[in-house]
This record gives sequence, C-alpha cells and structure tokens, in this order.
Amino acid sequence: MPLIHTRLITWVMALVLMIPIAIGLIGTLLPAFQYFPPLGEYQLSLSPWRDLFSHGEFYASLKLTLITGIGAPILSLWLALSLLAWGYQRPFFTKIEALLSPLLAIPHAAIAIGLLFLLSPSGWLVRVFSPWLTGFERPPNWISVQDPYGVSLIIALVIKEMPYLLFVMLTTMKSIKARESLQVGQALGYSRFTLWRKVLIPQLYPIVRLPIFIVVAFSLTVVDLALVIGPNTPSTLAVTLLRWFNNPDLSMRFMASAGAVFLMLCVVSVLAGWELSHKLTSKITRSERSNGKRAGLSDNLLRLGVIVGLLALLNGFVALVLLPIWSLARRWRFPDALPSQWTLSNLERAGPLLLELTTNTLLIAFLSTLLACAISLIMLETKRQDMDKQHQHTKNHLFDWLIYVPILLPQIGFLFGLHVLLIYLELNGDLCAIIALHLMYVLPYVYLTLKGPYLSYEEGYLQQANRIHYRPWRNYLGIKIAMLKPAMFTAFAIGFSVSIAQYLPTLIAGEGRYSTLTTEAVAQAASGDRKQVGSMAMLQAFFPILVFWLAQFIPRRWTRWRLFIKQCVIRSKHFFFKKDTQC
Amino acid sequence: MKKTFIAASMAAAFMLSSVSALAVTSNDQWQQTLEQAKGQTVYFNAWGGADNINDYIQWAADRIEQEYDVTLKQVKLTDASDAVNRVLAEKAAGKNSEGSIDLIWLNGENFRAMKDNALLFGPFSHNLPNYAHYVDESARQSLTQDFGTPVDGMESPWGMAQVIFMHDTETLATPPKSMNELLSYAQANPGRITYPEPPQFLGSTFLKQALHELTPDTSLLSNPVDQVDFHAVTAPLWAYLDQLHQVAWRNGQTFPSSSEEMMRLLDDQEIDVALSFDISAASIQIDRGNLPDSVRSYVFTKGTIGNTHFLAIPYNSSAKAGAQVVANFMLSPEAQIRKQNPTVWGDLSVLSYAKLSKEQQQAFDTIPRGIATLSIEELGQTLPEPHSSWVTALEKEWRERYAQ
Repeated sequence: MPLIHTRLITWVMALVLMIPIAIGLIGTLLPAFQYFPPLGEYQLSLSPWRDLFSHGEFYASLKLTLITGIGAPILSLWLALSLLAWGYQRPFFTKIEALLSPLLAIPHAAIAIGLLFLLSPSGWLVRVFSPWLTGFERPPNWISVQDPYGVSLIIALVIKEMPYLLFVMLTTMKSIKARESLQVGQALGYSRFTLWRKVLIPQLYPIVRLPIFIVVAFSLTVVDLALVIGPNTPSTLAVTLLRWFNNPDLSMRFMASAGAVFLMLCVVSVLAGWELSHKLTSKITRSERSNGKRAGLSDNLLRLGVIVGLLALLNGFVALVLLPIWSLARRWRFPDALPSQWTLSNLERAGPLLLELTTNTLLIAFLSTLLACAISLIMLETKRQDMDKQHQHTKNHLFDWLIYVPILLPQIGFLFGLHVLLIYLELNGDLCAIIALHLMYVLPYVYLTLKGPYLSYEEGYLQQANRIHYRPWRNYLGIKIAMLKPAMFTAFAIGFSVSIAQYLPTLIAGEGRYSTLTTEAVAQAASGDRKQVGSMAMLQAFFPILVFWLAQFIPRRWTRWRLFIKQCVIRSKHFFFKKDTQC
Repeated sequence: MKKTFIAASMAAAFMLSSVSALAVTSNDQWQQTLEQAKGQTVYFNAWGGADNINDYIQWAADRIEQEYDVTLKQVKLTDASDAVNRVLAEKAAGKNSEGSIDLIWLNGENFRAMKDNALLFGPFSHNLPNYAHYVDESARQSLTQDFGTPVDGMESPWGMAQVIFMHDTETLATPPKSMNELLSYAQANPGRITYPEPPQFLGSTFLKQALHELTPDTSLLSNPVDQVDFHAVTAPLWAYLDQLHQVAWRNGQTFPSSSEEMMRLLDDQEIDVALSFDISAASIQIDRGNLPDSVRSYVFTKGTIGNTHFLAIPYNSSAKAGAQVVANFMLSPEAQIRKQNPTVWGDLSVLSYAKLSKEQQQAFDTIPRGIATLSIEELGQTLPEPHSSWVTALEKEWRERYAQ
C-alpha cells in the first residue's frame, strides 16, 4: 500500500483507540474510590474496597472464577494441541476442520443452552438411555449442570475455545513449516506425537500466545455463558459484579466498580503467571526435548487429549443439533428421545421479529467488520514499512498492544464507564455507537488473523509488478490483496461472527433501541423457554455459519469466476461490436 | 319582561359556564397534554421476556398511534433495573433533558431507588382522566403503597399480580397448601421441591411468603427493616430453609432462575410444584405446549403475596406528554379488559369494578379463563408485600447463607 506519513498514521490510530479505553477505565476507576458526582459523591475514599474485601460472596466468586478461568484455557490448549498433532495433514482431518467453523461461529449463549439441553438431568443424554437402561421414569436428582464446582461451565468454555485455538493454530502451520518439519522428523524416526511435542509445539506457542491470552481473559470475565450454564450460588466474579451493578441499591455500584478493577488486576496477574509457568515449563523440558529419544511417555498425554477433544467436539455438535429440534417441537416430555408432537408455530411466532433483528444484526456486523478489515490493513502496512526501514522483525507497534486492551479487560466495568462518554457525545442509542463498540471487539480478532499472512507475504511479487507497470494502488489490490484472499476472507468471517456474538456492547451502546439476534436470544435464554431459545439460536447461528462457509468456498473459485465473468464481458463486447458494424 | 328574561338567561349562562369552568381546567390541561403529545415517540422500557406481553404492548402501540398520533416503541429489558441505571448514567452525564427513556414499567425497589434519587417526573397519575374515573385507591393498599413506599402520584398503576402455585394432577393429586406442608412433602419426596433463586423477584417473593407464614408477628413486616430486630423476626425463616434445602431439588445447591424455568422443570417432571406471579401462566403454557394439560393452579390456604405494578416517567424524558397519554390509555377499560384476557396476558385489572359502566362490567365478566386459571374468588386472600427495605435485607442474608 503506497502509504505516506506512516508514523503519523500510527499515532493518530493509537490515539483514536486510546481515548475510549482511557475514559472507560477512568469511568470505572473513580467510582471504585467512591467518586461519583451523580450520586453526590465527591470525596475519594477506600470504603468500596473495604466493603469488597469484607464481602463473603466476593471470595467465593473469585475462587470459582480462578478455577474456571484458568482450568478452561489449560484444557482447551491441551485438547487443541492434541487434536492438531493427531490430525494435521491427514485426509479425514480436513473434514473436522470444516466442521470447526459452526462451533466457532455460534454465539456462546446458544452453545450453553444447547449443552443444558444435552447434559441436564432431564437432558437428551439421559433421555436416550431412559427408561430402558437407567430405569428412570422421571429425571434423576443430579447436579450435572450449573454445578457448584463450575465443571459444566468449564466444559462449555472448552467447547467454545478449543475450536478457536485450533483454528488459529491451523492458520500458522505454513509459517512454522510444519509439513517440512514433520517429513524430516519422521524420516529420522520420531513418532508423530513426539515430534509435535519436541519440535512443533515449542515453535507454535509464541505465535499463538496472544490468542491464548485472549482465551484466558475471556474465560475469566465471560458473562453470558456463565449466566446460562455457570453455578449461581455463588456465580463467577463477572456475573456477581453484573448483579451488583444492576442492583437497585445504587450504592452497590461503588463496590461493583472496585470489584471490576480487581477483576482487571486478576486478569493481568493470571496472564503474568501463565507466561511465567510457560517459561518454567520450557526450561524444565528443554533437556528432555533434546535427548534424542524418538518416543516418550508424555506422548500419551497428547493421545488422551485426542480422545477427550473428540468427545468435546461431539458434545458441541449434538448440542447444536438439539437447537433446531427444540425449535420445531410442540410436546417433548421426559423420557422421549424425540418430540411427540411437532409444529412450525414456534418459528412462525418469531417470523416478524426476525426481519428487523436480521437487518440490524447484519448491518452492524458487516459495517464493523469491513471497517476492522480496512483499519487492520492500514495498520499492518505501516508496521511492515517500519520493519523494512529499521530491519527489525521483532519490534511491535504501539497499537499492537493497545488493540488487545478492550478484549483483555472485563466488559462490565469498562463498558459502563464508556457509556457515560457516549451520553456526553449524544451518541447513546445510536447505530454508529454500536458499530464503534463492536469495532473495538472485532478489530483485534481481524488484526490478529491477518497479521501473520500479511507480514509474511513475499513483497517481491508486488515490487516486480510495480517495476513492470507502476500503478501502486491497483497492483496492491490486484496482486497483494488478491494473493492474500484466503486470509482476508477468514479474517472477515471471524470478525463477522465476533460481532454477531456481542451482547453487552450492543446492549449498552444501543440502549435496547437496536436489538440484534444475540440480545434477543440472551433475553429469551433467561426465560427458559427452550422452543423460543432454540428458534432464536438457530437463526443466530445461520449467518455466521453461512459466512464461514463462504469464506472457504469463495477464495478457491474466485479466479475461475472472475475469468468467466471477464470472458462473458469480452464476448458480449464482441457481440455488440459486430452488431454495430453490421448496422 | 324581555329584559328580565335576558338577564335571567345571561345569569343562567354565567352559572353554567362557571360550573363547567371547574371541570374545564383539568380537561383543558389534559387537552393541552394531548396536543403536546401529538407526533411524539415514547420509548417504553419494559421487561421483554414474555412474548404475550410484548404482543400486548404492540397492540397498545397500534391503538395509541391511531387514536393519539403518539408512537410507542418498546425497549425490551431483561430487568427493570437496567432502565434505572440508564437514567442514572444520563444524570451522571448531565443530560437533564432529552433522555433516552420516556416510560418505565416498574415497582418496589426500582421505584424506591428512582424516587429517592429524584429521577422521576411527577406527580402525574392523578391528572390522568382514566385514573380519576376508574381507579379506587381505597380498594387495595398496594395502589398507594408500592412495597411500603408511598406512591404520591409519581407512578400510574398498570396491573396487579398475585403468587400462584402449579402442580401436575397426574403426579401430585393433593398439593401442599402451606409452607409447612411443602416441607413435609419435600421430606417425603426429596428433590422435587425448589424455588427461584433470590434476588430474582419471584425468589424473593417466595422468601416473603415463607416469612409471612412463619414469623409470629406479621405486623412487624410493614415497618422498615432497620426499625425491627431482623434476626429475631427472620430466625424461623432460616431454620425452615435450612431444613428445606437438605431435601430440595439438587440438594439446594442450585436454584432455577425464573418462573419460566420452574415451569420447564415441572414439564420435565424434575420438580412437582412451580410458582408464578402470573395467575394465568399455567393456561398460557398449556396452550403453547409447554405444560401438560393436567397441570392446575392453586393458592395457599392462608393466602399468597400480591402487589401492583406501575408505569413511571423519568425526570429527563423527552416525551413526557406522550408518556402520560400512554399511561392513560393503559388505564382505559378497553386496554385493561384486553390485558386481563388470559390468552392475551391474563394480568389482573387495577380498575374498580364498581366504577365501571354496565357494559364494561359485562365485558369483564365475559373474559374467558383458561382451564388452569383460578377465578378472583378462588385466588382468595392477598397478603401484603413487606416494606420494600425487606427485599434487600432478605436477599443479602439469603446470599450470605446459601450462596457462598
């Protein structure tokens, strides 16, 4: 991209990103120290913190948050690596890869509801085996979902996060030359899992470090998923905070703000701890990795991971299949494995709403993702030019770090602070405000997905083209972007599904004036009507799945279609030209 | 003769005009409100979790558009406190006019929070023609005392609710009709009894219902909680819950999140008794295929908790006239009759039956009831809500005891 003033662009972009983040943070920090003019509080004080630390539910929630928030990413990482090591470059694995996108695309709340349908004592799993095997005429009094230990929450998190990690890892395979390493290693007699463990995973980890951090921060701070499938006596810290923020007793807000600040500190320290333990692990295992043994006992860890990972995937899919079944059910009582009466009226009822919700959802998702793609390209180009000039390949931009701040911060505390800014700007309840907030959450994912392919692009093609015919913009689009098509489409699909899944940002910026499929589905999820939820979730899942499918379908056929259209145009020109001469 | 006639008729004319002048001032004021309201858009923040209620609001919106040229738009909330927070955020930003919310559906704690923080417009309800015509304030304490907080015209009544219980006659023929019977039933059938998790409002209401039945002196409950010995008054409640949780659904470690979830569990036969604040909930869910048609409603022998819900206007609303027009329409016999229809919503009317015309009374009499809905007589006695300060105290104590 023939950009000039790259340094200026970098700074302007960084500033534009920084302002809302800073104001959101200040809007949370000040109430945490009792400063909140609308409630007549102008004195800084530590009392919110004293309240917080003397609150029993805070400690219980914190414990649960740490267990689920650290347990889920470790499990997800383990399973994703195991599946990758087991299946990479094997023919059947491409089918699993293709099946990942629906799991990735579907909003968390919908997955959680699906899992409730599947795993609860009256769920499908028990229904299938009842009463012929289990003898249950009525559902057993088990605690298989919303359990106080957070196991079901961890399962839901893993089902949502493992596909994401696997997806990100698959896109980096080329840059670590995985295939070549495997070929060389296998020729040297290393077993497949050992090779991954000793050679590929240590190379892979630094590249996917940020996605892992995102997953950790997400697990520690998620609200909608924890609301649906997490325990509620106590809930995770994020949900407890949300309840405090929404408490009619407005003075609870101070303690909630202090809690939100604490949750941020929590995220930071868990990430620091995570990085430290990675350093430690790689130090401890260094001698083992280079001992030359062709197989090892810890390979079994990966083998076990494959089985658990496949089970988790299967769980996710069955949960997804249950959604449309529920949306078509009229009567479906325990222990029937399938509905006894079917109907279309659940869907008919949702029909008129659908049009409005779909328009809003698609408009927001398309605009925010397109903007995110454009900004990502500009930022990556300035980064590339900087790197070229300084011949430093490790140096990071300022906003390389900045853009991750929104997704690493807990949404609840941060967004309330931001809401006050929107009201000052009279942008509250405005479509632009929703798109801007979505952009904050879409941008990091799009940027992250594009970063690797864009920076590793062989610039020589473009330079050569410009030497032959100097048309910098046209060549940039026609050659570089065209060659990066698969990455562009993937980034778009990911950004799109991220936008569709946003709940709190849509609600807070849109003030409920703009409902999307997600805000509606979560509002319905609370009501517990499985038919409604099933219908909503199905609709909500349809568009991201479609876009993911298109992202895989179009790039391969793009050139063929383009040439075909070009040919048609040429032919028709000839045709008209002949006609003209005849006349 | 002619003169006297003219004088007399003039005097009569003066008399007439001065008599009507009294009526005209309030009528004029209302006409003015109607004029101002024309063309306004009213953003109505209302809980959006039930389709039938959303449909009813949409029906009202169409009627109001037709008749008054006011556009009513529902902003669906998961909790009324979201709206309270939004008005507060607007006040924080110094947005004292042109606020984003024009009308809120609320009661109890949310009303108290808004009233105490001066976030409300009013008093206005007494100026609504339909309020003056059809509402009898002495009919129910909850019309003037919203969970113990004086209403003072700052909100306009919309409907009434009462706690009902539901049971499936095929699995449970004679349901437990008091708190103690409920406990003995749970002890005989472990895992089949539960209640929504406080602070969900129905869960808190269950606590209030239990407290009302178990505490020796119920008159203490109408005082603010800091004026009584909370621990002494509530001790029987916690002792009761400690026993109940041991034999409750999922051993009292998890609780359903709402009435809707309870009905789902009843349908799944995970539990035997569900509760709701909507007297026609059972009929509606049977109609939708969400409950078997053997489910019936019932109330406790000594009565169940009931309350009134209201519409209020934030102080910074940009369409206060339009909001009043909406509140007035919602109080019309037409709107209240439709609302009480169980296939529409089934929410109890706030109008005084005695103040209605013959035709209107007849219309109320002919409202069909679903197969599982109790009649007004069958609903029996309504127990008053405790003072609204009790809710927070009970919820806090509950969470400290059972949610850590």
